[in-house]
Amino acid sequence: MSATATAPAGGTTSGPSTGHTQVRNVTFARVLRSEWIKLWTLRSTWWTLASTVVVMIGFALLLALVVQLAGDAMEGASPEDQAAMGGVLGGTTVVAAGYEMAALVVAVLGALMITGEYSTGMIRSTFAAVPGRLPAFFGKALVLVLVTAVLTAVSLALSWLVTYPILNANDATVDFGDGDQVRSLFGTVLYVSLVALFALGLGTLLRHTAGAIFTVVAIFLVIPTIFQIATFAAAQLEWVGTVNKLLPSVAGAQITPNAGQFTDVLDPWVGIAVLGGYTALVLIGAAARLKAQDA
Amino acid sequence: MIEATGLTKRYGAKTAVDGVTFTVQPGQVTGFLGPNGAGKSTTMRMIVGLDRPTAGKVTVNGKPYAAHRRPLAEVGALLDAKAVHTGRTARNHLLAMAATHGIPTTRVDEVIELTGLRPVATKRVGGFSLGMGQRLGIAAALLGDPRTLILDEPVNGLDPEGVLWVRNIAKYLASEGRTVFLSSHLMSEVALTADHVIVIGRGRILADAPVQEIVDGAERKLVRVRSPQATELAELLTANDAQVDGVEPGLLEVRGSSAAAVGELAAASRIVLHELTPVASTLEEAYMSLTADSVEYHSEDIAASGTASDLEGSKA
Repeated sequence: MSATATAPAGGTTSGPSTGHTQVRNVTFARVLRSEWIKLWTLRSTWWTLASTVVVMIGFALLLALVVQLAGDAMEGASPEDQAAMGGVLGGTTVVAAGYEMAALVVAVLGALMITGEYSTGMIRSTFAAVPGRLPAFFGKALVLVLVTAVLTAVSLALSWLVTYPILNANDATVDFGDGDQVRSLFGTVLYVSLVALFALGLGTLLRHTAGAIFTVVAIFLVIPTIFQIATFAAAQLEWVGTVNKLLPSVAGAQITPNAGQFTDVLDPWVGIAVLGGYTALVLIGAAARLKAQDA
Repeated sequence: MIEATGLTKRYGAKTAVDGVTFTVQPGQVTGFLGPNGAGKSTTMRMIVGLDRPTAGKVTVNGKPYAAHRRPLAEVGALLDAKAVHTGRTARNHLLAMAATHGIPTTRVDEVIELTGLRPVATKRVGGFSLGMGQRLGIAAALLGDPRTLILDEPVNGLDPEGVLWVRNIAKYLASEGRTVFLSSHLMSEVALTADHVIVIGRGRILADAPVQEIVDGAERKLVRVRSPQATELAELLTANDAQVDGVEPGLLEVRGSSAAAVGELAAASRIVLHELTPVASTLEEAYMSLTADSVEYHSEDIAASGTASDLEGSKA
């Protein structure tokens, strides 16, 4: 009774402690659940995910329209010419048309998952609850990769659905019996997921939202564009071609329907492994900094 | 129980915490007192493993914080009122924290109720006042029903009712046998809340004693005497075992004697007095003299007598 009498007024009879608060050990599954809650309780998540879907469907529709226009123009052309057209703008190319932009949007999500915590101070709460730190980081990575993979797959499915009438009319639908086409769609999911992870790693290394996003855009958009021009303008320089095919975006893109832009490229699976290697390096560096430095 | 041994933190050439050794006992509120930049926050951050010590070590309930399997049940820490994502609601923040330790939703709602956060629980933290942020930080600290509480400047930004609430909750938690370690830059706040106080300045421990001891030691009395025959009076007083400081020509500060005794002595020797003022030094002044050499950022002398308000002003 005396304890109740001295308890601070808080509107409950229990006081700060009820004496039977259930507290369990920190496990990776619980950390994962915490990161899952964190992801879905921010508006920025919903914005970026919605943007990804819109970008994927939008680009697919746009390219489907090109297929339609090309089909109209090609009417009466020889079957060989029509086949050539279908080769450049196949069903998978149309369905996955927005994957590069989608990857950049998802990269923003990946970077924000960690830089948002550093900029607001949330990271200190995170590390107070999970003082080992790495489980929280890997929890973020796993949640991110799961959400990104599902999101990309769903976006591809929706893009396929909305472009189906146009592609069907032009005899350019995705052939799910063709192993290469299925692989390229699966590869698109892999590519976008790896870029998201890459951005998470960069965000952890830089601890700065704008800096991380700028760097991702530079690596996946600006530098490849420069090299794309360079491969034409300075084709005689061997190193330009070598660096170009080893760029994260060019190497990773070989597994997607967007392959075939360049002649000197890596094998699709080697290419995605190279992108995976870069991502692993960034994540290892990020984990090392996260573990060693003051929060 | 918190035990720090030779705990040191250096940032480049700057030493924030300089080999401090102390023990925070359970069952009482321990105040951690020091001016701005004294090393209070750095020390507290090292206790919960956010900052790595350059040297020395610190344990909580016998182990380094990170070695505990249920850290939130060992230590609840309010280190920074805004260690919360501004885009998340208060309740969702607590739910995410609770999930790491399998703490049930009922406990989340309990701490929300307890800290008076219910009206704003579903609002995003970005719009919170400092006081509400502080309450959320305390709610998060209480989540795991911890044996040890670390509260860095918990009354900052709270209204008077909130300040009272923090004092009561700190005392109540200590009365349950928990360890409560609470930092403040205000001696008066510590004197009201804490049983024991550790004073830190420039990264070093200046005092580690029961509050009453510091308070008693603090309230030294002195008598200010103004007299045209100051030199003569000073000799007389010194002969009578008082300590005399000549502040300026004609003005003395006398310790170890009372105003009445000084007056009688002067009258007996027919010395004219122009002023005879007993001066009780306040708690804040005692704290100022204790930390005088260790204040990181000296404020300019705005008013000669404004020592205590200078201190608060420099924190604002």
